Amino acid sequence: MKTHKLFENGSHSWLMFGRDDDKPEQIIDTNQYLVITKNNALLMDPGGIELFSAMLSAVIKQVPADKITHIFASHQDPDIISSLGLWDQALPSSTLHSPWLWESFIRHFGMKSITYAAIPDEGNSLRIDGVNLEFIPAHYLHSSGNFNVYDGEAKILMSGDIGAALEEVDAPLFVENFDEHISKMKMFHQRWMPSNSAKNDWVQRVRKLDIDMMCPQHGRIFKGDDVKRFLDWFEALEVGLIANSG
Amino acid sequence: MSDPTTNYFVSVAEIAAKLDQATHIAQQLSLTASNARAVALRAGERAAGFRPLTDFIDRLAEITISSSKKINLLASTLSRTSADKVRADNAIEHFHDVYVRAKDSPFIHSLDAQFDLCEAAQQKLNTKYRRQIDQLSDELSMLSNELRNAVILATLSRVEASQAGVQYQEALINVANNVEGAAGKIKNHIHYSQQMVSTLE
Repeated sequence: MKTHKLFENGSHSWLMFGRDDDKPEQIIDTNQYLVITKNNALLMDPGGIELFSAMLSAVIKQVPADKITHIFASHQDPDIISSLGLWDQALPSSTLHSPWLWESFIRHFGMKSITYAAIPDEGNSLRIDGVNLEFIPAHYLHSSGNFNVYDGEAKILMSGDIGAALEEVDAPLFVENFDEHISKMKMFHQRWMPSNSAKNDWVQRVRKLDIDMMCPQHGRIFKGDDVKRFLDWFEALEVGLIANSG
Repeated sequence: MSDPTTNYFVSVAEIAAKLDQATHIAQQLSLTASNARAVALRAGERAAGFRPLTDFIDRLAEITISSSKKINLLASTLSRTSADKVRADNAIEHFHDVYVRAKDSPFIHSLDAQFDLCEAAQQKLNTKYRRQIDQLSDELSMLSNELRNAVILATLSRVEASQAGVQYQEALINVANNVEGAAGKIKNHIHYSQQMVSTLE
């Protein structure tokens, strides 16, 4: 599991974990993100059971366990949060922020001690040690209850499955050539994202945010102008399609 | 049958399922007892020797049902405990893995307190698991001993049936066969479960 620092200022830092060489072959490679503030940390989309040991090992190299007070799950998928039962043993005092829609489903992963903070459909924000993190609605992209995390100070949007690409475990961290990158994203977005109107609504809202980096849960991070390129491409893309069905 | 050394929680679930079947058969035994009483009443004096036996069949059915229910409950509880134990064992395994992978981390000992708690919970579950296996094992032996009486009861029933006259003989022999058959089936389930339990001990 590799660790990359994406942002750091006086108040907080953003780390990305991923490109795990040790992961079993048949599971999809995932990116996990951690925001570290003065006394706390927020772990985002911590991943599946198969990844837990690698993930906790990577995180514990950065912060003590009792500092990880918040966890975020953008939606209910197993690659996002099936490790919850184990985090529940490791971080029993933490709070899980996740869509209200999925609470009774996510609890199936095993949650005895962690507190579930249900995010309402319209989103809300989490303030830790003076750092404001907004939970931005991204419903139907792809899950019917789905959120992104936006940090206005770092200008980072953790976009979950939006912008995700299916590629090799040793792929570069950042998109280097947007046009070439399209082929790695197109099918994923058309097949997994069911709603054009939900997509266009999200694009319009996200265009108003000041974003330097858009960080998806699979594949590469979009930086600078590639964020706008992605929004233009995504807006024009027809979604809710099965390949070859027209 | 699953490998009990690695999939003990599956073995426990299999035991619970077997014993659930035993409870259903015990309920059939209870029907046989009611039937026996009705036939003996109709036969009147000619089945005078059979009537006291129906009380024993009744008692056997009652004991078998209550014991099967108790065993079934014990097996379900054990099944839940074993699933909890799997989760606890699994967490401990992951913790060990993290201690190796992140041994050089300056924060590795921040996990110690939670690891200790998990280990204590695991110990508690292990003790609970052993105790529940012992209880299940004892109850299975008790029911198995009780069911030995079914063979005697069936033999006595056949003797008495032969003296009840042609009209009722077949019905009473049928009662004897049912008692023996149901008891035999339950004993098979118990024997299977006892073998499975012994692999867990």
